Amino acid sequence: MKKEELFARIEKAIIEGRKSEAEDLAREAVKAKIDLTEVIEKGYVPGIQKVGDLWEKGDYFLPELITSAECMKAAMAVLQPELDKANIKTKTKGKVVIGTVEGDIHDIGKNLVASMLSANGFDVVDLGADVKLEKFIEKAEETKADFICLSALLTTTMLGQKKAIELLRQKNLYGKFKVLVGGAPANQKWAEEIGADGYAENAMLAVKLAKRLMGA
Amino acid sequence: MSLTILELIRKRRVLLDGGFGTELIQRGFPQGACPETWNVERPEVVKEIHKSYFDAGSDAVLTNSFGGSTIKLASHGQDKRCYELNKAAATIANEVKPKGGFVGGSIGPTGKFLQPQGEFTEPMFEAAFAEQARGLADGKVDFLLIETQYDLREALCALRAARKVAALPVFVTMTYNRVPRGFFTLMGNSASQCLQELEKEGVPAVGANCTLDSSDMADLVKAMREITRLPLIAQANAGKPSLSSEGEVSYSQGLESYLQHIPKIIANGANVVGGCCGTNPDYIRRMAFIVKKEG
Repeated sequence: MKKEELFARIEKAIIEGRKSEAEDLAREAVKAKIDLTEVIEKGYVPGIQKVGDLWEKGDYFLPELITSAECMKAAMAVLQPELDKANIKTKTKGKVVIGTVEGDIHDIGKNLVASMLSANGFDVVDLGADVKLEKFIEKAEETKADFICLSALLTTTMLGQKKAIELLRQKNLYGKFKVLVGGAPANQKWAEEIGADGYAENAMLAVKLAKRLMGA
Repeated sequence: MSLTILELIRKRRVLLDGGFGTELIQRGFPQGACPETWNVERPEVVKEIHKSYFDAGSDAVLTNSFGGSTIKLASHGQDKRCYELNKAAATIANEVKPKGGFVGGSIGPTGKFLQPQGEFTEPMFEAAFAEQARGLADGKVDFLLIETQYDLREALCALRAARKVAALPVFVTMTYNRVPRGFFTLMGNSASQCLQELEKEGVPAVGANCTLDSSDMADLVKAMREITRLPLIAQANAGKPSLSSEGEVSYSQGLESYLQHIPKIIANGANVVGGCCGTNPDYIRRMAFIVKKEG
């Protein structure tokens, strides 16, 4: 199979959410000794990006998004050991610490952002829901994160996003991490008012925003 | 002989209540706590809110049990109290119910996903909802409202569970996003798929709540009316919430622009109307006038 044909089939498998095919094609690429970074960049990544576009247009919904993100994960599980073996460092798009702020147990949106960032090549540490604000900062320090992503669904818990930024200032860490905020009541104006680095309305826009802030 | 809720819906337009969370917070409910616990710990506050809605003109109020399934309560470590908290929710609402008024048992989503997106199975969801419905039924609600559902499969689990444990009318409202192709739930269920399925299951009143503002809700009601002849329920949000850096919450629509679309929601075919996030007794008081005027 020609390289281009393989890439096209990979892209299609991701768009259509066929997991075993996404894995098989990864194995095929390994066997054919094709440059695996090219396989990722020209096959898998365009696939997940199209999935995101379809979702933004309202043609795809959450189940399709999750299924395709899982196909990516499965394929990467095949490719990563090979990349490690060949000592090829895939450049991470950025390191992310993400969670829903304390007092807030809602995690559907946060999970979606986490899996789309991960599917798009970011290194994601998901702290879960109802996360103490100190914990975000500790983990970001520990993992040398580029981003702290704070999710909140409630107007009451959304204040946690503001407090987290205040906490960063107190610790003289403001500016060390890029802070992104999201959740139903959040918006661009809020992000600016509290001194966050960005706001995204949905998971796809979060990926685009994070890439832009990384200068990619 | 007083009318049942279904008889009332057949006879005239019925008015439900509005937002509950904001009302609780205004009365000192702390951030991140479990709202259902106040049915037992601070019943006087919950009752005061219900009463304010009845006073504003609500024909029926919904119990403070939106997150009362065992699965949702487990996020607060309160799952063992499921029956107790739901029964209390119903009991205290009944204590302020005026003559001719109704109490509906609110059943919201679990916040979790069924397999394959999540870890839960349908029997697990059914068990979680059954325990809740049992409490609400024993506290003597007049009907159950399975509301704000974003997954039709989950809504059907709740429906089966409720019917298994309670001999009450069970209504279902889904929550839809507006996309270029129409109205769809988060999981991609179209309005027509939901309505057809729920009608097939024999649900006596169906509809939509939350997410949409009153303008989009009017369009959704029109679309729903083309699909079903069942009584339709519509409870719109007052737009999107936003928070000033001082912590002031406001909703994008505001009272007047919210109310402007209520006559259209009614004209497009809603039989049961009410508010959702961002609405309060002031909204309901004004809606009561509109409902009367529009007949």
